[in-house]
Amino acid sequence: MFMVMLLSWFAAKSQTKEVTGKVVNDKGEIVPFSTVRVKNSRVAVSANADGIFSIPAASGQTLIVTATNYSPAEMAVKNGGDLTIVLRLKDAFLNEVVVTALGQTKSKAKVGYSTSSFNNDVINKASPASMMDGLQGKIAGADISSVSGTPGGSTKVVLRGYGVIGGGDNQPLYVIDGVPLSDASFTVAGAGGNGPALSDYGNGMTDVNPNDIESITVLKGTAGSSLYGSQAKNGVILITTKKGRAGTPKIDFASSFNVSVVGKLPTAQKEFGQGWGGTFILSENGSWGPRLNGKEQAWGAIVNNTQLIKPFSYQDVRDFFDRGTETNNSIGISGGNDKTNYYFSYGNILSNGILPGSSDKLQRNNFSLRTNSTFNNFSISTSFNYINRNLTTPAKFGLSPYGNDIYTQLWQNPVDIPIRDFMAYNNIYFNVDNFFSPYSENPYYILNENGSEQQSDRFYGKLDMSYKFTPEISAQFRLGGDFTSSATHIWNAVNAPSPGSWEAGGNVEGQFRRPDIGSDQEQSDRFSIVNGDFILKYTKQLNPDFSLDVIAGANYYQQQQTNITTAIQGLSIPFFYNLSNSNNPPTSSNFLIEKKAIGVYAQAVAGYKDMLFLTVNARNDWSSTLPINDNSFFYPGASLSWIASQSFDLSHTAISLLKFRAAYGKTGADALPYQVYQTLTQGNISYLNTPAGLLYGSLTFPFNGVNGFTVSKNIANPNLKPIITKESELGVEMRLFKGRVGIDAAVYDKETDGQIFTVPVAPSSGYNGLIENIGVVSNKGVEITFDATPVQTNHFTWKIIYTFAKNQNDVVSLTHGLDKVILQTDGLSGGIEYDAIPGKPIGSFLSPYPLMSPDGKIVVDPNTSFPVEAPQKVDIGTSQRDFIMGLVNTFTYKNLQLGFTLDYRKGGMMYSGTADQVLFTGYGYATTYNDRKPFIIPNSVNQVVDANGKTEYVENKTYVNGPNVTNYYYTNNDKPLAYPMRLIDKSFIKLREITLSYTLPSSWASKIRSSNLMLTAYGRNFILWTPKSNMYVDPEVSNLGNDLTSEFGEYGGGVGPTTMQFGLSLKANF
Amino acid sequence: MKRSMHRVLWMVVLICFSAGCKKQLDINRDPNNPAIDAATPQGLFPAGVLSTASAAGGELAILGVLWSEYCTESAYASQYRNLDSYNATGSDLTSNYAELYSGALNDYQLILQKSQASQDWNFYLLATVMKAYTYELLVDLYDNVPYSQALQGENNLQPMFDSGYSVYEGLITELDTALNKNFGAATNSLPGNTDYVFGGDISQWIAFANTLKLKMFLRMVNAKPDEAAKRITDLYNSGAVFLTADAAVSEFTATPGKQNPFYAYNIFSLNVTTNLRASETLVSWLQYNEDPRIVSYFGSASAIGINQGDFQNTTDPSYSSAATFVQEPTDPVQFISAPESFFLQAEARERYFAGDGAQDLYNQGVEASFNFWQLDGSSFVAAGGAYEYPVAGTLDQKIEAIITQKWASLPGSHALEAWFERTRTGYPKSSPVYSTDPSYIPGQFVVAKNTVIGNNYPKRLVYPDLERSTNKNTPAQVPVTVPVWWGK
Repeated sequence: MFMVMLLSWFAAKSQTKEVTGKVVNDKGEIVPFSTVRVKNSRVAVSANADGIFSIPAASGQTLIVTATNYSPAEMAVKNGGDLTIVLRLKDAFLNEVVVTALGQTKSKAKVGYSTSSFNNDVINKASPASMMDGLQGKIAGADISSVSGTPGGSTKVVLRGYGVIGGGDNQPLYVIDGVPLSDASFTVAGAGGNGPALSDYGNGMTDVNPNDIESITVLKGTAGSSLYGSQAKNGVILITTKKGRAGTPKIDFASSFNVSVVGKLPTAQKEFGQGWGGTFILSENGSWGPRLNGKEQAWGAIVNNTQLIKPFSYQDVRDFFDRGTETNNSIGISGGNDKTNYYFSYGNILSNGILPGSSDKLQRNNFSLRTNSTFNNFSISTSFNYINRNLTTPAKFGLSPYGNDIYTQLWQNPVDIPIRDFMAYNNIYFNVDNFFSPYSENPYYILNENGSEQQSDRFYGKLDMSYKFTPEISAQFRLGGDFTSSATHIWNAVNAPSPGSWEAGGNVEGQFRRPDIGSDQEQSDRFSIVNGDFILKYTKQLNPDFSLDVIAGANYYQQQQTNITTAIQGLSIPFFYNLSNSNNPPTSSNFLIEKKAIGVYAQAVAGYKDMLFLTVNARNDWSSTLPINDNSFFYPGASLSWIASQSFDLSHTAISLLKFRAAYGKTGADALPYQVYQTLTQGNISYLNTPAGLLYGSLTFPFNGVNGFTVSKNIANPNLKPIITKESELGVEMRLFKGRVGIDAAVYDKETDGQIFTVPVAPSSGYNGLIENIGVVSNKGVEITFDATPVQTNHFTWKIIYTFAKNQNDVVSLTHGLDKVILQTDGLSGGIEYDAIPGKPIGSFLSPYPLMSPDGKIVVDPNTSFPVEAPQKVDIGTSQRDFIMGLVNTFTYKNLQLGFTLDYRKGGMMYSGTADQVLFTGYGYATTYNDRKPFIIPNSVNQVVDANGKTEYVENKTYVNGPNVTNYYYTNNDKPLAYPMRLIDKSFIKLREITLSYTLPSSWASKIRSSNLMLTAYGRNFILWTPKSNMYVDPEVSNLGNDLTSEFGEYGGGVGPTTMQFGLSLKANF
Repeated sequence: MKRSMHRVLWMVVLICFSAGCKKQLDINRDPNNPAIDAATPQGLFPAGVLSTASAAGGELAILGVLWSEYCTESAYASQYRNLDSYNATGSDLTSNYAELYSGALNDYQLILQKSQASQDWNFYLLATVMKAYTYELLVDLYDNVPYSQALQGENNLQPMFDSGYSVYEGLITELDTALNKNFGAATNSLPGNTDYVFGGDISQWIAFANTLKLKMFLRMVNAKPDEAAKRITDLYNSGAVFLTADAAVSEFTATPGKQNPFYAYNIFSLNVTTNLRASETLVSWLQYNEDPRIVSYFGSASAIGINQGDFQNTTDPSYSSAATFVQEPTDPVQFISAPESFFLQAEARERYFAGDGAQDLYNQGVEASFNFWQLDGSSFVAAGGAYEYPVAGTLDQKIEAIITQKWASLPGSHALEAWFERTRTGYPKSSPVYSTDPSYIPGQFVVAKNTVIGNNYPKRLVYPDLERSTNKNTPAQVPVTVPVWWGK
C-alpha cells in the first residue's frame, strides 16, 4: 500500500500541468476526500474536505475518481476551466450506518467485528409483544427462545453459546440509546427462598414496546462490546428508539389483534382408562386401568349413594384450554424544527392467555417521550419512558406446599375423564369434598381460587448532553437510569374436605387428601440502575489518507435491588387475603443487593483511505463485588476492517463489495455481590425435594421465641478473581451481482476463564459449596448469513435470507482437580445430573443406567424383574445443539408481500418433567409398550455367581408383569431404564412467522391522508416439528429461568405450553 | 490532543485510587446476613439443635417407622415404596446427611471453638453432647464416616473416612473431656431458653451425656464385649447419673415452620396424608397383648394393619381401611427418651451387675412409655401381666423382653432407634413365615413383601451420592444387608 503511494508521488513529480476540479454527488453535495487518478498512470491525489482537487495531467488523459460509497466516475481532461465531477452512490450497503458501543454511530465499513442490524419492519412483522421474539431465526449465532407460552413470559437470548457456568449470567446486555437496560425479573423464589422461579413474570427486556424501536443491532462478539464493561461479556443488543424528525408532525399508528391456541401437548395414549396397575380404581389419578371399551359406566365419587355415568372412552385434555387473545396498539407522534424535535409514543398490550378465564393475563401500557435539541455547539437529548404492567398468572406450588400446579393436574386426569365437566367446581361431584381423586385437585378450582398478580411501574430514561469545542473535539455526558418497583401478591385458598367425605378418606382407597390451609404473600421489589458516562471525542482527518477518531471516557455504574416479602399461612377467614388474616404470625424477610463499578476506557479508530480501519480499545474496571484490595481488572481489544473492494478495482468482476474483518478482544466480568466475606445465616432448615421447590418439612426461626443463626453453607472466597473472556474473530462480507447476493461469514474462538461458581463440596467438610473461580470454557463457532434476491422484476421480487450457526462448546478445565460440577439435577432424590465435565460440552446429562454384561446386554435382577443399576451414572448426551439455521423468504408482488421464517435447531437433549409425569400416570403414549402385556426386557441377561465365585450371565426369563408393567416407567422402581426415558431430543423446526401484507395504493391511502397504509395477516409458531422421541413438550419451554440451567429442560409443573398465534395488524403513517 | 486525552484518563484513574473511591466500592459486606465474627454459642446452638432434630426426627423417622415395622406404605400410594422395599440407594436421604454435617455439626464445631476460647464450659458441654449424638447417628446409619478430618472447610474438602469404631472412641473421649470441665466457673454463661432440650439445666445435660455414653457402650456388646463390660462398669463406679426424663425438643406447634418435622413431612407436605399405614407386625403384637397404646399409635383398638411392604396389593379389600399412623404437629423429637434410658440401664444392670435393679428399671421403662400417652402400664408389668419381667428367664430372654419393650415404646419421631437396637440385638425376632401365614407369631419381624434384597433385612444405608460425587475418599459402597461395625 505504501509503495503505491510512493510511486504515485514520484509519478506526480514528473508532470507539469495542473488540472483542478471539484467532486460532488448527484444531489450536488460535496464529496470530500475522494481519490483522483489519471487513467493508465500512477498519478493520484486526494480531494480535500471541500471536494477540491488539483492533479497534474495532460489534456486527453482521463481522470478516474473514486470515493467510499460511490461508483467510480471517469472524465476526460479538457483544456481550461475547473472540472466538476459527479459521483453516484454505489451500493446502499456501504452507506449503512451501524450503532456500535456507547451508542456511537459508525459507518458499517469501519467495523471490524460481526454486527447484525434489524429495522422496525423486521422486528414488528408479526406484532410480537416482546421485541426479540420478532428476530427468532433471523440472526446467525443467536439462539432466541420463548421459554413459556404465558402472556408476558420470558425470552431467552444466547449469543455464541454459553460461556459462563455459574451465576446465571449468560444473557446479553441490553442497551437502549446508549444506556444499559435492566433485564432483571422479579420472580418469586420457591418455597424457603431456595427454589427457582415459580412463575414466569417475564424478564426486564420484554417490557419494551417493540413498535417504539427504530432498529436493533446485535454485537455478538466481545471485541465489539468490550467498551461496555463487564456486563457485555455475552454480547450486546443495542436498541435504537425512534426519534423525531424536523418537519410537520407525523403520526405512526400500529394496531394488531391475534388469537392464540395451545401448542404442543404430551401425546396421550387412547387405549387405557382410569386405574392403576391394570385395575380400575374410582379414585385413582392414573390412566393405568383397563382397556377403554366405550361402554357407559359409573365414575367419580359416590355421593349420597349416587354416581355419575359416562362412556369409558378417550377424552381430549385439549378441551381444557381456551382461545387466547391479544391486542397490541401503538401510536407515535413526531415532529420538530431544525433546532428541536420530539417523539412521543403510547402503546398498550392486552393479552389473555390460553387458560380458561382471566387467570393468565398481561396488561401493559408504555409511554415514551424523547427530544433532541441543538443550540450551536451544544446539543441535548432526553428520553423518558414509563411502563405500567399488570400480570396475572395462575398460582404454582405455593409459598408453602399448598395448592397444586395447574399443569401437573392435567396429566393426572385419566384419559377417559372429561375435564371440562369439572368447570363447575362447586358442583357436588367436583367440589372439594367429592373431586374424584385425593391425589389431585380440580384444575378449575386452582384457576379460580388461587392466583398471583404482579403490578410493576418502571421508568427508564436518559439525559444526554454534548458540546463541540472545535469541529474535532467534543465532549459528551450521559446519565441513564432504570427504576422499577413492583408489587406481587400470591394467594392460595383454604379448603379442606369435610370429615367422612370422598376426599377425606371416604374413597375406595381410604386415602385422605391434605387440607389446604390457605396463604397470602405480599412481595415488594425495587430495582434500579444508574449509569453515567463522560466521554471525550476527537475526530481528525490527519491528511488526505489518514483519519483518526478517538474517544476516552469514564463510567460509573450502580445497581441496587431491594425486596421485602411477608407471608401468612393458615387463613382465619377463608377467601380473605390480608396479612392480618391468620392465627399464625406472619413470616417476613427482606434483602438488599448493591453493586457499584467504575470504569475508564479509551478507543481509537485509525482509517486509511476509507479502506482500512484499525480500532484499538481498552478498559479498566473497579468493581465492588471483588475483594476490595484486588478489585481492578483491565481488558484491551483491537479490530481491523479492510474493504478490499476499495483497494482493488473489482469492477470487472461480479463482486461489488469485499470486506475482511479481524478482531481480538478481552472482556472482564466481576462476581455477584457478597461472595467474598463469610457470613452466618438465619438457621432456617428446609428440605427441598424437587427443583420446583416442593418442601418436605421445614423449620424456621425464631423458634419458641429464640432466634438462631447457622454458619453459611457456602464457603466465601476472599481471593475471588474476575472472569476474563478472550475472543478472536475473523470475518468476511461480500456482495455480488450488483448487490443481489450477499454473504457474511464469521469464525470465532472464545475462551472464558475464571468462572465463578458455587462448587458443590462434600458435606463432611462442613459446607455444601465453595465459591470459586473454577475453570475455562471455550466456544468456537462459525456463523454464516447468506442473502439473495433470486427474482427481481418490476412487479415481483423474491428475497431469501439464510442463516447458519454452529457452536462448539467445551469445558476446557476445572480447578481443584474437580472431575465435574453439577449444574442442575432433576431433584434432590433424583437421578439425572446436568454437569460440566472437562473435555465435554457444558451441560452433559448423566443418568442412572442399566448394568451391562460384557457383551452389551442389560443385566436384570430376577428379584425385581428390572435392570440392575450400573455403579456409575452414564453420560447420555449434552444439551448443546449441533447447529441452528434460519430461513426467511419474502415474496413481493406489487402491493402484496408474503413472508415466512423457518427456524431449525438440530441436536441437543433436555430433561422433560412432563415426560416424568405422563409416564408415571400412564397418560403418555409411550406407556403402551407391548400393549401393556407382560414382557421380558429385550436383550437382557441375569448375573449368576457360580460356586467358584465366577460371574456368569444367563438369559433373562423374568417377565415384567402385574404392577411392574406400571412400575417399569417409574423412577422409584426402575431407575436404570426410567430415567433415560425422561431425556429427549430437543431438535425442532418451527415456522416462526408467516405474514401476508398488503400496502394500500397511495392513491387510496392519501384519501385518509395516510402516506403509508399496510394491512398484515400473520401467524406465529403454528407449525412445530419435533423428532418422534419427543412426545411431550415444545422443546423451547423451561421453568428454570432463562440462563444456562434452563437448558436442563423443564420441570413439568409451573410452565405452560407454548402457543400458536394468528392475527391481523394495521400499520399507518400520517 | 493525545496527551490531553491521556491526562484525563490518568486523572480519573487517580481519583479512583484515592480513598474516596475505594470507600465507594467497599459495599460488599452482605447486609442481609451477619458476618461470621458475630457468631456466639447462644446464637448457634438453637440452629444446631433444630438441625439435628429436623433430620433425625424428620425423614429419617420415616425410615425408622418403616424399618422398625411400625408402619408400611399404603397400597394406594408410592411415596415411600423405595424405602419400604429396602431399596435405599445413594440418592435417598442425602439431604439429611448434608444437613447433619453442614448444618448441625458445623455449628457445634464453631460453638466448641468459641466456648473453649471464652471458657464457657456450659456451652462446651452442650455442643459436645449434641455433636456426639449427631455423629453417633451418622455412624449407626453409615458405619464409616468422616470425623477426624471433617468440618475443616476449605482446609480439607475431601476428608478421609474414619472407621465407625474409631469415631465412637473419639466421641467418648470428647464427652469425657467436656464432662471434666468446671461447671462452676465464673466464665460460664447460662444457656437459658437458647437450650430447647433442658432450658439450660446443666445437670440434665450431664445425665444426657452419661446416658449417651451408656448407649454407645451397649452398642459395643457384639464387636467389643470386653470393652463394653469394662467401660459400663467404670461408668457406674464413677457415680454417673442417667436420664429419667426425655432429652427432647418439645416446643413444636401447629404453626407452619414450627411443626414436628416428621409431621411436617408426612402430613403437612404431601398431597395425601395417608401414606403411612399401620404395619401388621406392630398391630398384631399390640392386639395380642391388648395394649392400649394401639389407640395412641393407630387411633383404634381394632386398627387394621397392612402386612409389611405389601404395597402392590390393591386387591385386599381390608387395605383401604388400614389404620393410619396418628401424628400431631406438636409431637416431640426425642434424642433419648425416658423409657429408652430406663431400658438401657436395665440392660446394663442385667448384663454387668447380675440383674441388680434391672427389673425395676424395666418396669419404669414400660410405665414411662404408657405414661407418655397418659396411660397406666402398671398392670402390664405386675405379676401375671402381659409384660411381666422374666425374672427367672435366661439373659437372652431378659434382653429380649427389654428390647421388645423398647421397640414398643418408640413409634414416632425417634423410631430409628428401634431399628438400630434390632440390628444390634436381633429383637424383636424374625418370623420364619410372612405375616399372612396362620402360624405367624404376632410382633415378629417379616421381610417386606416387595424386598429388593431377597430374604434379608436392611442393616445400614449406603454412602450418599452427594458425598461420593464430591469426595474421592469415600469408600466403596457396602450392601445394605451388611451390618455396621457394632451390628449383628
